[in-house]
Amino acid sequence: MGAYPIPSEFEARTNATYEALMWALSRPGLPRDLPSAGQAGIIETLIDRECAVYCEDADMAELAARSGAVLAAPEKADHLFLSQPPAQLTGLRQGSDMYPEEGATLVMPVSLGSGGTLRLSGPGVNGEVTLSLSGIPQGFWAERTRVMRYPMGFEVFLLDGATVIGIPRTTVVEVL
Amino acid sequence: MSLKSLTKDWEPMSYGFLDASAKCEIRRKTLKAIAVPGCQIPYASREVPMARGWGTGGLQISCTLINPRTTVKVIDQGADDSVNAASIRRFLSRVSGAPTTTDTLKADLIQSRHRIPEEKLREDQVLVLQVPNPEPLRPVQPNMSIARQMHADADYGRMWLQLYEQIVRSGRVMQGASYPSLVHGRFVMTPSPIPRWDVPKMHMAKHLTILSAGREKRLHAVPPYTRVEPLVFDDVPYQVEEHGQLTCTRSGAKGYFMNEIPQNDGTSTYEVSDSELGIKTIQKADGDTVELGDTWYQDGEMTQ
Repeated sequence: MGAYPIPSEFEARTNATYEALMWALSRPGLPRDLPSAGQAGIIETLIDRECAVYCEDADMAELAARSGAVLAAPEKADHLFLSQPPAQLTGLRQGSDMYPEEGATLVMPVSLGSGGTLRLSGPGVNGEVTLSLSGIPQGFWAERTRVMRYPMGFEVFLLDGATVIGIPRTTVVEVL
Repeated sequence: MSLKSLTKDWEPMSYGFLDASAKCEIRRKTLKAIAVPGCQIPYASREVPMARGWGTGGLQISCTLINPRTTVKVIDQGADDSVNAASIRRFLSRVSGAPTTTDTLKADLIQSRHRIPEEKLREDQVLVLQVPNPEPLRPVQPNMSIARQMHADADYGRMWLQLYEQIVRSGRVMQGASYPSLVHGRFVMTPSPIPRWDVPKMHMAKHLTILSAGREKRLHAVPPYTRVEPLVFDDVPYQVEEHGQLTCTRSGAKGYFMNEIPQNDGTSTYEVSDSELGIKTIQKADGDTVELGDTWYQDGEMTQ
């Protein structure tokens, strides 16, 4: 006894990133801190050769490709790393009633703390929570509600620097 | 791109036993499980140095979550000191260097076989339940492909029929453990074979619950503040085990879930199932300073 394995830097980083993502999705609307800013940390935490990934940023695409993931069109991708909110939501993967987990995961940048106010409710939210953010076009949340039919749907991670907010498909989003 | 950039430095073993790709997959599947509460998500379920069916599912989740600052508690049917719990706790500590505890209040990560601790869990705690059979429909539909379609259709009529037949045959619901429960009004899950006593603890709980079945290669999750409603008929209320009036012979704790100890003369004595709660109760009676957390049940009644 006494000799314990020490996590490598990669392991420590991905472990902390996953913990932030897990709690972000478990508690929608509550910001969590990632160990590093940007999408790269999320890619190395979640993406490997079993994934089909759509990246708008060329550097992120290279990083994802290096993990062995297939680079795919937005409608085929299971993880989308976006530089701006998608123009349309109808084409995104939503899984099926039998395999709802095949729905996509979107990671996209926003600015938190200013702009329009959202009110969230649903699993993971104690009553309701409000948050202010900008960078998401008008109508995004209404369109999200329109195209998703639970249990099918997609998850959204909103990224502002090293802060992440998770919006799972179960969350009801009202624009105030 | 150089060869060096595609490889990793040699390590004698992966931290937390599981390799990076196994963790990656479990992370992705767990996120989807949280997003679709109660839905069984298939995952690869890698080999761990333990026989399938002895908590390998829970172990893989714990190995993925663990880091040197995670305080781990492992319980087996409420006891911290049973063989299964002690072995898993020692394994997790050895592969990660994480500190271990038996105190529910001090734990960050609680891996449990078939019990939820009596003390209330907090918003920052994760409960990992080991699940032998994740499929609530198996007694009524052994074909798992058809069962998956039934989940897709929310076709749970046979679950109700099963409960109805128990009432007709026996006068009450005979389902003891793994009572079928509706999660977020959509998916019926089997909350691992926790007793009926523990099911209300999951309803709108503050903690995150991840249920993982290693042998069956499926995991599901109950996020915090999520509705978990046992299937009950309007006119037959949900009943937990009648342990509210029992007193633990060793610690004097009263109003919690008990283990029945049969005696030679045909009678039974009882001891509290949550062993750490029993120990704390004894320490408190001895005048030691121990912190007893709020419990879900008080005097045998569920508080909310």
